[in-house]
Amino acid sequence: MNTYYAANLLIFAGVDIIACIALNLQFGVSGIVNFSFIVFQAAGAYAAAVLSMPPDTAADYSFQIYVGGYQLPFPLPWIGGAVVGGLLAIPIGIVVLRKLRSDYQAIALLVTSIIANTVITNARPFLNGAAGLALVPQPFQDQIDTATDTYQYVYIGLTAVAVAIVWFVAARIVNSPFGRSLRAMRDHELAATAIGKNPVALKMTIFIVGGAIAGLSGAILVGFLQVWAPSTWLYPETIILFAAVIVGGRGNNLGAILGALLVPVGFEEVTRLLIRLNIGPPNLIPALEWVLIGLFILGFLWFRPEGVRPEPRRVFEGSPEPEVERVRAA
Amino acid sequence: MSLFVAAFGFGLVSMSVIALAAVGFTMQFGITNMINLAYGEVMIASAYVAYYIDQTGISIWVAMIGGAIFGAVFSFLINRFIYAPFMRKGTANLGMVIVSLAVSLMIANLLLPIVGYYSVSYRERFGSIVRLGSVVLTVNQMLIIALAVVVMLAIHALLRYTRLGKAMRATAANPTLARSSGIPTQRVIDIVWLITGALCGLAGTVAGLDSETFAIASGAGFLITALAAAVLGGAGQPYGAMVGAVVIGMVTELSAAAWSPDYKQVVAFGILVVVMVLRPQGLLAKRGALAAAG
Amino acid sequence: MSAQPDGPMLVAEDVRRSFEGMHAVDGVSLDVPRGEITGLIGPNGAGKSTFLAVLAGTLPASGGRITFDGEDITRVPAYARARRGLVRTFQLPSEFAKLTVLENLLVAAPRHRGDSLLGALMGKRYWIADEKRLVEEARGLLHRFGMSAKESDYAGMMSGGQKRLIEIMRALMLHPRCLLLDEPMSGVHPRVIEEIQHYLRALRAEGLTIVMVEHELHLVEQLCDSVFVMAQGKLIGSGTMASLRRQREIVDAYLVG
Repeated sequence: MNTYYAANLLIFAGVDIIACIALNLQFGVSGIVNFSFIVFQAAGAYAAAVLSMPPDTAADYSFQIYVGGYQLPFPLPWIGGAVVGGLLAIPIGIVVLRKLRSDYQAIALLVTSIIANTVITNARPFLNGAAGLALVPQPFQDQIDTATDTYQYVYIGLTAVAVAIVWFVAARIVNSPFGRSLRAMRDHELAATAIGKNPVALKMTIFIVGGAIAGLSGAILVGFLQVWAPSTWLYPETIILFAAVIVGGRGNNLGAILGALLVPVGFEEVTRLLIRLNIGPPNLIPALEWVLIGLFILGFLWFRPEGVRPEPRRVFEGSPEPEVERVRAA
Repeated sequence: MSLFVAAFGFGLVSMSVIALAAVGFTMQFGITNMINLAYGEVMIASAYVAYYIDQTGISIWVAMIGGAIFGAVFSFLINRFIYAPFMRKGTANLGMVIVSLAVSLMIANLLLPIVGYYSVSYRERFGSIVRLGSVVLTVNQMLIIALAVVVMLAIHALLRYTRLGKAMRATAANPTLARSSGIPTQRVIDIVWLITGALCGLAGTVAGLDSETFAIASGAGFLITALAAAVLGGAGQPYGAMVGAVVIGMVTELSAAAWSPDYKQVVAFGILVVVMVLRPQGLLAKRGALAAAG
Repeated sequence: MSAQPDGPMLVAEDVRRSFEGMHAVDGVSLDVPRGEITGLIGPNGAGKSTFLAVLAGTLPASGGRITFDGEDITRVPAYARARRGLVRTFQLPSEFAKLTVLENLLVAAPRHRGDSLLGALMGKRYWIADEKRLVEEARGLLHRFGMSAKESDYAGMMSGGQKRLIEIMRALMLHPRCLLLDEPMSGVHPRVIEEIQHYLRALRAEGLTIVMVEHELHLVEQLCDSVFVMAQGKLIGSGTMASLRRQREIVDAYLVG
């Protein structure tokens, strides 16, 4: 296994972990079925790209058309990606989250995702349309030769730092009284309103936080891949992440990580292996992979809706043992 | 100017296609309480069934019946073996949305290895041209409009004048009450899946014929247009969906003439957003589903 | 208008609520006396639960005015009414199923330092003092309502009667001035009904104002100081249960309804 392969694997894993933690905050903890999740990752990626690229009039870049082009140094593009992801959540949240019933919210978000992709694909002057952006600069590429192993380690390190920060933020939210309010809203929104929680404010808050984290994940991805196009963020990509959170365990941050490793990363690796070993016709495997993801979702929702690692039960200091446990022990 | 007259003609065709799709979609929701996100993929699957029949030399207008039958049986089976069990298990509406999206993904990707990635066309995609003043339509397009009118009248007659239609309306309004007053709601729901599935299959074939070429990837677009018309007319209400189809069909074609055909779905979506912002409660309220039928 | 210590706790003036042309609540005016248990009765579909929801703000009023402890709250959203001390419960079980019993109580506590995004990000040390105090308070309530042993069980696993108790305790965590209870004893084991009655009397003795929608007239008779009768969205009578039983048209409304 060469360094580039390892870097590829680890960075994808890091990006998927970050994305799944964010989706878990929205879906697992707060009950928002954000079917346009991938749009926030894409927004972060585009933002990071145009913040770090030179203007589209620059010599090597004139074959594409895009807005911006500010040549900002790291870490500004990553921060910018997170900010744009969070900002994008405001208008979408205002339209979708305020008055619609939760299942209509999910559908409105799905439609938003499909339409956003259509718009970006067709509106070429904005972000170079269907062809997407290429030659996106990498962090520190002027200081370190990106073709070296050292650079791969640096990028893995940067990704790891981002994962740690996101984990820290998510853990603080989930384990706080604020997280408890989010979980209460998820379990029974009207009852939460009746005890003084403002569900619109709670949803908007977590929508923005999740959007920012998703944006960061996109920024990390685009810095590594150096390309970003509408075909990389079609709406089924969101479904993979949902599958990951459902499999891993809704409401559990560790579950989100486990899900990220099992579903997006695991599937990617298995597909790569099968194709390399020449098992089955090459375009059959990706299709079957999607079918399998659908089956995973249905299977887990049917047999184990709480996932591999269920949401932990919060037992407080000095509490008697849960009744159920005692019965089981007896 | 004549561009807009022509667009008006296309609008008539578009609204016919959308109406066929949207009425089935909205009835599924109104009567069985299921927002079926796999609807667009079932449309595509049915369009392919009609395509294979068409390829054997049988006219598309006959093959269309094959598409409708396939749509009916397929929808019925999806409900029987996936949706209904999940609903019986007490899965919330939100969970059902995830289930149906997963089903949609599975259908699309089970189809892919069978039908391939590339677009296909029916043999009859170009018909001879008919001129009505400055409106220019093909014979196919005229037949599509006629078909939609006939089907809409049939739906109206079904809901208004038959016992089945009354049972459907009663089930939509209050399933528990309907059951306790002796309506076999389970059978009604089965029949609803067959009828709406047939509409879905028919709509898929007609959409394939109208758009000249189609591929697996067309499913999402089909779903969005049907959804937009259904939502605009008040989700769950067939007459509303017909009105929604008229509006969406006309507006998208006129905007395509004025602006760019790439943005048809975007315009439909724009209408959707405006409605969601301006009157969100009234718009999607299920109350009175099917009530307009009398 | 300022709060008057002896004035009514809650005043409804010509309150209306319609659903697409149907008048579920059709111009109800009433005063809820302070520190008493007030019953709200009427046949099925009389609009009692809708009226209660309009008072709590979980359904917006289509017309009229609602005054809570001297303050006009007609335009105040439901969550803000709850924070001001007007707290409702629900007819159907409405526990937070995947929270433990203790968490169901804690989550209702107002003004918790850790109950905002910033507070959460500040970390445990920032809010642990509040948390400890509230755990203490919640455990007091659990003890009083005889549910201490269940504190770490999921609320979703509790029986119907226990869920009722959880809901009442949860409401009490807000230190309400007025409780609006929607059939708090429906679907509850007779023994637990007695318990709930006992708790409600004790709360009244502490000065809490309670409004309850109830179907079982004998329970209303035992508990309520005064009673309002609704039929077809309108208020058709009020008084003590004993005096209402003597009014012909009210008995008729019940039998017909």
